[in-house]
Amino acid sequence: MSLVARLCERHSVYLIPSINNLTVVRSVTKARIPNTATSKTDKGKHYGFRILELIPKPPEKQQRIVKKIQALPPRMNQMAVDQDWTSVWPGQRTFHPATVPLPVRQGYPKKNEAPPSKYGNAELMKIPNFLHLTPPTIKRHCEALKKFCTKWPEELDTDTSYDKHFPLEVIYSNYCYSGPSIREPMARIVSFRVKLSNLTLDQHAKDKILRLVGERYDPESDLLTIVADRCPIRKQNYEYAEYLLTALYHESWRKEEWENEKTLADMEYYDWDLEQSRKNLVTVYAWPEIPQDYDYENIPNATEYKIAVSDLVNNGEDDFSVNKYKEAVKKIMFWKPDGDKPNEK
Amino acid sequence: MAVSQRNFIKLLKLTNLRQSSTAAQAMPVHEDIHQSFRTREDNPEYHGMQHINRIYTIPNNDLKMITCQGLITMYMKQFKTFAEASILVRKPAVEIISYLNQADYSKPVNKYVLYGEDGTGKTSTMLHTLHYAYTKGQIIVHVPWIRSWFDGPKETANSITKTNKIDLPFHAAAWLRNFKTQNQHILNKADIKLSATHEWSATENSAKDSSLMDMIDFGISRIKFASNVIIKLMSELKQASTSGKCKVLVAIDGYNALFSQQTNIFNDNKQMVPASQVSLTEAFLDITKSDWCNGQVIVTVDKMATKENAESHFPRYLLTNEGFDHLDPFLPISVENYTEDEFNTVIEYYKNRKWIRNLSSDGQKELQLLSGGNPYKLMEYCKHL
Repeated sequence: MSLVARLCERHSVYLIPSINNLTVVRSVTKARIPNTATSKTDKGKHYGFRILELIPKPPEKQQRIVKKIQALPPRMNQMAVDQDWTSVWPGQRTFHPATVPLPVRQGYPKKNEAPPSKYGNAELMKIPNFLHLTPPTIKRHCEALKKFCTKWPEELDTDTSYDKHFPLEVIYSNYCYSGPSIREPMARIVSFRVKLSNLTLDQHAKDKILRLVGERYDPESDLLTIVADRCPIRKQNYEYAEYLLTALYHESWRKEEWENEKTLADMEYYDWDLEQSRKNLVTVYAWPEIPQDYDYENIPNATEYKIAVSDLVNNGEDDFSVNKYKEAVKKIMFWKPDGDKPNEK
Repeated sequence: MAVSQRNFIKLLKLTNLRQSSTAAQAMPVHEDIHQSFRTREDNPEYHGMQHINRIYTIPNNDLKMITCQGLITMYMKQFKTFAEASILVRKPAVEIISYLNQADYSKPVNKYVLYGEDGTGKTSTMLHTLHYAYTKGQIIVHVPWIRSWFDGPKETANSITKTNKIDLPFHAAAWLRNFKTQNQHILNKADIKLSATHEWSATENSAKDSSLMDMIDFGISRIKFASNVIIKLMSELKQASTSGKCKVLVAIDGYNALFSQQTNIFNDNKQMVPASQVSLTEAFLDITKSDWCNGQVIVTVDKMATKENAESHFPRYLLTNEGFDHLDPFLPISVENYTEDEFNTVIEYYKNRKWIRNLSSDGQKELQLLSGGNPYKLMEYCKHL
């Protein structure tokens, strides 16, 4: 009896109050079910005997059931012919086959086949499209922006007048992204463009500014370009470019003491009045006397010769300039007074 | 066998077999038929536009005199091969001769610069003008190729009178000797006296009013002083011609070599000296100044005249700034490739000289295209035909 009581104490869950002792004992044996747990984690759930499996069966693999998503029919099927396309495609967006009601095809065709259609076509998605910039859309943009605009000044009708009133041209770029970051490092770069003829410079200052700016000056268009990109922010770069232009201007007007040491070899162009050529001409004409001053006013055709020599040296030698020089020299050379001017014929 | 062959050749050299054999002998051919490509006017003074594109022949005696200073081997070879010295009368030569005829000889010298691409005939044009000067009885100051002095001088010596200057005694003496041969007949006739006493050393000098020929002879015999003699000779010539005793034609080929920075001449420290430090340069720079009259100066500028790589054939580039300042004002005269008429004349001439045979009209066209009308190239291509 005491044994039964002790058992009852241990398995209180199964203890069913009864009058009959024997009934109590029988109910204990019925409660046991075989322990079929295979894994260790399931141990606590089963209490019965463990079944000996000499070759354990592998656990059954559960087939993953792919749930089919119900796709809506393509939107283009429901589009009206006179619909408002701007509201369908309002902004920049990657190509979408169901939204674009056009039978476009793109890609390398297989043999005897047409190019791939628009569905699932990566080629079409890769390329940028301008479906958000159709002419009616742009027209509507402009209409919307018009109320913020002011009237164009009448005085600025031509490019030349524009150059006259606004000699300084500031160039920078804004970048627009649909991505998560709106920052673009290229946006900081500021270029100043100004025509050199718009700056007030004398001969010395012009020479000096050209030497200072070096290749930033384009002699063909007469434009001086300063690009500032060393600061992180556009405003800083703008101010730096402003500073550079100001400093350049004032520095070129300043004449240092050592600049007086400039010799003919340092000249940026051939100045006939300073060169040996002028002395030669005057000396030849004064021969056999030695000239007192290099005054060429009285020499006939000297001006033409001067221009020809300057052109020959400044513009470089070619058949044209050498011939021009030849004609000029022919006129200043010494020919028999009675004979007319020599010619090739 | 070899020995006998050598003996045979020796025999050939010793005895002029040609004269005793029946082999063909070079004989002056009397061509009675008038050849349309030739002109019989052999006095360059009268050459004008009517003679252009024709070939004229320099008489043999004249050729000997005008090439005393030597000429490029190529020319001499061709003259020998053709058994006559024939030159095509071309536009630049006629142009220059017309200038020489019209120049005012009482005023400072006019200077002419011949320029053009390699092998276009600058030297031929100069030869033509030399012949002109010879027929007019002018003193010829001719330097055939300045670069030959600077490229590999036989001997160099430090100048006695000037520090940092280099003399080229052999070349100077040779030039003096050739100058004497070339102009002896005129110098003797003109009887030029020295205007001042020139001291060569403590014991040797050329006294005032002594003959110019004596000074030249002194330079030839005492080659140590030859360079200095040339320098003095130039100034004496200038003075003599200014005073009207003679007329002088200066003809210098490859003139831009005088302004070259690179030579093959080295000083005592084994350093290369520029052309300006050679004493002969001084002499020929002096004669090309415009401070004398009764003369004319003709020079050529050549891409090949200096060691430096030349990119352009134009005169100012080749002369450099220094040379331009020295020579300016000068009259540039372009020497260009053959025109079609000139080309045809030359081909005719080559055919006549049996230099080329069996040339079809297609072949002639091919030659013209291959050479591009360049005289030198044409000559090269015709060598094998």
